[in-house]
Amino acid sequence: MNVMDSALVKLTVQGVLADSSPNAESQVVLLQDEGKTNTLPIWVGTAEGMAIRLALEGIIPPRPLSHDLIRSLTEHLGLKVAKVVVTDVKSNTYYASIYLSSKESEQTVDSRPSDAIALALRTRSPIYATRDVLERQAPEAVDPWLKRLNAKEFGGAV
Amino acid sequence: MLTQMQVRGLMFDPYTNAYIVILRDDGNTEMLPIWVGKPEASAISFAMEGIATPRPMTHDLMKTVLDAADAKVISVVVTDLKENTYYAKVHLSYEDSEYSIDSRPSDAIALALRAKAPIFVTDDVIRKHSNEEMDRWLENLKPEDFGKYDA
Repeated sequence: MNVMDSALVKLTVQGVLADSSPNAESQVVLLQDEGKTNTLPIWVGTAEGMAIRLALEGIIPPRPLSHDLIRSLTEHLGLKVAKVVVTDVKSNTYYASIYLSSKESEQTVDSRPSDAIALALRTRSPIYATRDVLERQAPEAVDPWLKRLNAKEFGGAV
Repeated sequence: MLTQMQVRGLMFDPYTNAYIVILRDDGNTEMLPIWVGKPEASAISFAMEGIATPRPMTHDLMKTVLDAADAKVISVVVTDLKENTYYAKVHLSYEDSEYSIDSRPSDAIALALRAKAPIFVTDDVIRKHSNEEMDRWLENLKPEDFGKYDA
């Protein structure tokens, strides 16, 4: 493990939830580390939320959706999605990088986390966040929201 | 045979709650409306109007991935129409080979506009489209439509 890798925390997608606040059109992707000590909620658009949910549930649509097409493009070009990383958060906007590797080289591509996650689930690539991002998400903003979520949305599933 | 088409516009269809991309050939003799979903419609509309979003949208990412591999979109082709569903192919050149990749027309068009690649439709699709359109028109005729011009 190199220095860069040690600064990364592996996360898995726990689910996609609708944000119940009145003005929100968006959905929330919940990412969690293996020890379940860190939770990272990322707000995504409706279409991206759907793309993530379909992959989580293993639903194969009759026609390829946008992220299925991206996966198909990478396969044809012999590119492997090595990993995706949530790299930064600035003014509530999360940033991600997609690591593509080919025979000769490795490249990173800038992406929204929603697209990166939707692609990673389709290519079975690991998802990481930097420690920095996990530490910098404002707990005072997220915790009450998560508590409310636990009580309501998770209640039915337990 | 292929006919090159331009994206002429986007319309909202209130009956199906979907968007319609209007493709037209340069001679304005053929017109092909393709129903697309809302996110694909905005992806097409952003590219048509040259709007740059603060963060890359899904089809911008698609283009970036191709650029990273040094792959080029040669063209996109609407290849088939079956039971009201259009099929398309994205034609790529990469290293010394060419690839055809199955796609929905909406994704293919959104990508073509970003890659400045030409959009084609097969003559077969144009012919099937006119047939299906005729069928639909006949199906939608109501009894009262027939008597309309008698009086």
